[in-house]
Amino acid sequence: MIEIRLEALAYVYRGGIRALDGVSLTVPAGQRLALIGQNGSGKTTLVRHLNGILRPTAGRVLLGGEDTARRTVAELARSVGLVYQNPDRQIFGSRVRSEVAFGPRNLRFGTDRLHTAVDAALAATGLTAEADTNPYDLGSSRRKLLALASVLAMETPVLVLDEPTTGQDEPGMAMVAGIVEAASAAGRTVIAISHDMRFVAESFERVVVMRLGRILLDGSPAEVFARRSWEPLQSTFVEPPLAAVVGDRLGLGSTPTDDDLVDAIVRRSPG
Amino acid sequence: MLTFESVTYRHAGGVRPAIDDVSLELGEGEVVGLVGGNGSGKSTLCLIAAGLAPRIVGGTLSGRILIDGEDIAPMPMHELVARVAIGFDDPWTQLSGVTGTVYEEVAFGPANLGMPRDELVSRVDAALSSLAIEQLAARDPAHLSGGQQQLVAIAGLLAMGPRHIVLDEPTAQLDPSGTSLVANAIERLASEGASVLVVEHKTDLIARVAKRLVVLAGGTIVMEGAAAELLADPRLRDLGVREPSAVRLRRRLVEAGLDPVALA
Amino acid sequence: MVGPLALAGLVVLLPAAVARVVRKLLRATLLLTLPVATSVLVINVLFFPGGRDVLFQAGPVTATREGLGLAIEVLLRLLVISGAISLFYLTTSAAELTTDLERRGVSPRLAFVANASVQSVPAMLERAAAIIEAQRARGLDTEGGPLARARGIVPIVGPVILGAIGEVEQRTLALEARGFSRPGPRTLLWHPADRPIERAARWLIVAALVALLAARALGWHPA
Repeated sequence: MIEIRLEALAYVYRGGIRALDGVSLTVPAGQRLALIGQNGSGKTTLVRHLNGILRPTAGRVLLGGEDTARRTVAELARSVGLVYQNPDRQIFGSRVRSEVAFGPRNLRFGTDRLHTAVDAALAATGLTAEADTNPYDLGSSRRKLLALASVLAMETPVLVLDEPTTGQDEPGMAMVAGIVEAASAAGRTVIAISHDMRFVAESFERVVVMRLGRILLDGSPAEVFARRSWEPLQSTFVEPPLAAVVGDRLGLGSTPTDDDLVDAIVRRSPG
Repeated sequence: MLTFESVTYRHAGGVRPAIDDVSLELGEGEVVGLVGGNGSGKSTLCLIAAGLAPRIVGGTLSGRILIDGEDIAPMPMHELVARVAIGFDDPWTQLSGVTGTVYEEVAFGPANLGMPRDELVSRVDAALSSLAIEQLAARDPAHLSGGQQQLVAIAGLLAMGPRHIVLDEPTAQLDPSGTSLVANAIERLASEGASVLVVEHKTDLIARVAKRLVVLAGGTIVMEGAAAELLADPRLRDLGVREPSAVRLRRRLVEAGLDPVALA
Repeated sequence: MVGPLALAGLVVLLPAAVARVVRKLLRATLLLTLPVATSVLVINVLFFPGGRDVLFQAGPVTATREGLGLAIEVLLRLLVISGAISLFYLTTSAAELTTDLERRGVSPRLAFVANASVQSVPAMLERAAAIIEAQRARGLDTEGGPLARARGIVPIVGPVILGAIGEVEQRTLALEARGFSRPGPRTLLWHPADRPIERAARWLIVAALVALLAARALGWHPA
């Protein structure tokens, strides 16, 4: 398992747009971290540095203490699995199973490990029964789960998800939340970009809010969604989850999740 | 008034009907939310309502779809589009891709209808102002945010002059600020008398904009009624519908033996 | 050599300078010609048959001055052609082109297709880049030897084609929903400015073309 460290990371796109403007961040191995903020705040640019697709304009990216500058993207793919937003930008297999096997095969998994990894990824995304289906016969929300499975099967110590809940219905949401939890329980680091604050508050232990290429807030959901953070959150169009708003109105302190709120009410009203 | 009269639809080569005996009415100035799990037939229903299925995407349909009492089947597509418009989830593929300014993009649809130039101009002006995006008129659509592009796409539909608007997951690809722009736009349209049918997974948005709710499962309407009440129905979750934040919080409180009055 | 040089200056560089796109033009042109140019240079310099004036010899190949001369001539022609194409794309607004084509009676569908195909090139490149990125993130080696690269073709070209098909389907629906299939003329929102000097320039180009063809037919051969 691997620690991620960003040191004064800056990135300027060709054309001069400064997408990252000095981001320093340490993510301990096994942490569940949500990256939030308006589109264009630098979230995706940041995660594209973790697997070496983008190289810093300034600053360093360290994986397990080692500078990624010396490693190729293909090498970094062993450490960091990144699931992109749009599944149609990666699916090419004629069968769900072969699509999922593509990544592990690139990483030269042995036959046994390959089968185990693919089976586990299919099970986690509810696609076991669709192993022989053509990916394009799945609906768009299940193709998104397929893309997730195809990276999950690479068994990387770091798993990065770019807006994994988009287009998912209730069972799909639950599945994604379950994957985050299971990966974290297995000691993997999970970093997710999301606009769904309920998912963020419930499935992640740390929330980093970005704005204009910098870190605006960084803390636990209770800290980031606390009353005193609402104003900075508003500046990047993030609304705290309903439970946080209700908890504040009831004078219960910061209760970012429904469970937090219920607990706080129970604690206050004995009997 | 947009009416479905026992509509059953099969995709080309489909064994089971994708839409099975659906009857539905969408009244003047009404916003109806359409929800259901993935694969329940929501998008197909939208394509049928807009006349794109079966005529463009193929398949077979029985039953009738009426606009203000008139069967849409024999209507040419270009007449139909001026009466019922449809918007999709991807802002990018909805734009024509051939225009250099938002103004021209909004004019693309009505210009296809070949109306006099004066009318075209006044329609575009009206559509831009009804979504409050006049300030974007001279911008290049390709260089707008997703939320802004989605508004431009909706303005492009409005300029065709339809009284019925079907939106299939209009905020799926948008961030919260884009989502709230679209929610505002839907409310504005309804207040101007258009009827809107909106498909969304984001039930918090549905709770905000829709008065009536239709729940689809396996291609059939399984529940229908006032949105505020239906969204609180515990069966929705079993049908794959995301529970709105307020509904879930209330349920949690009740389950913990607490008084949900605190939520009021 | 004089011919292509004169053409390059007169009909490519001069207009580009007026339009202030010289820098972009040079970049685009060089990018466009580079692959072909390299092979032209190698083949002509080294394998020109019957060259006498030997420049250098390396093993079985002999580079000759005649070969070099021909290579430069062909290169210049290539540069003029790709320069003219780049100039067109750099200075012509696709929207103006479509509007003007329609005004001149070209079918709106044809005008749309012409325009959309120009506009879709950057989108296609952007999509291809996103796909390459996603597959590299899945451990696809795009930097290895020829064999590794060959293995990368299907995972990259597959989604490019499937994605393009999917996008066409979605666009078709969106276009149908905007009355695109209606027969008959479209309302034109505006008329592109057509200044007298532009009109004069167009006639001049036609006249020059006719004159050059005539001169060639009469046996004139610029060195």
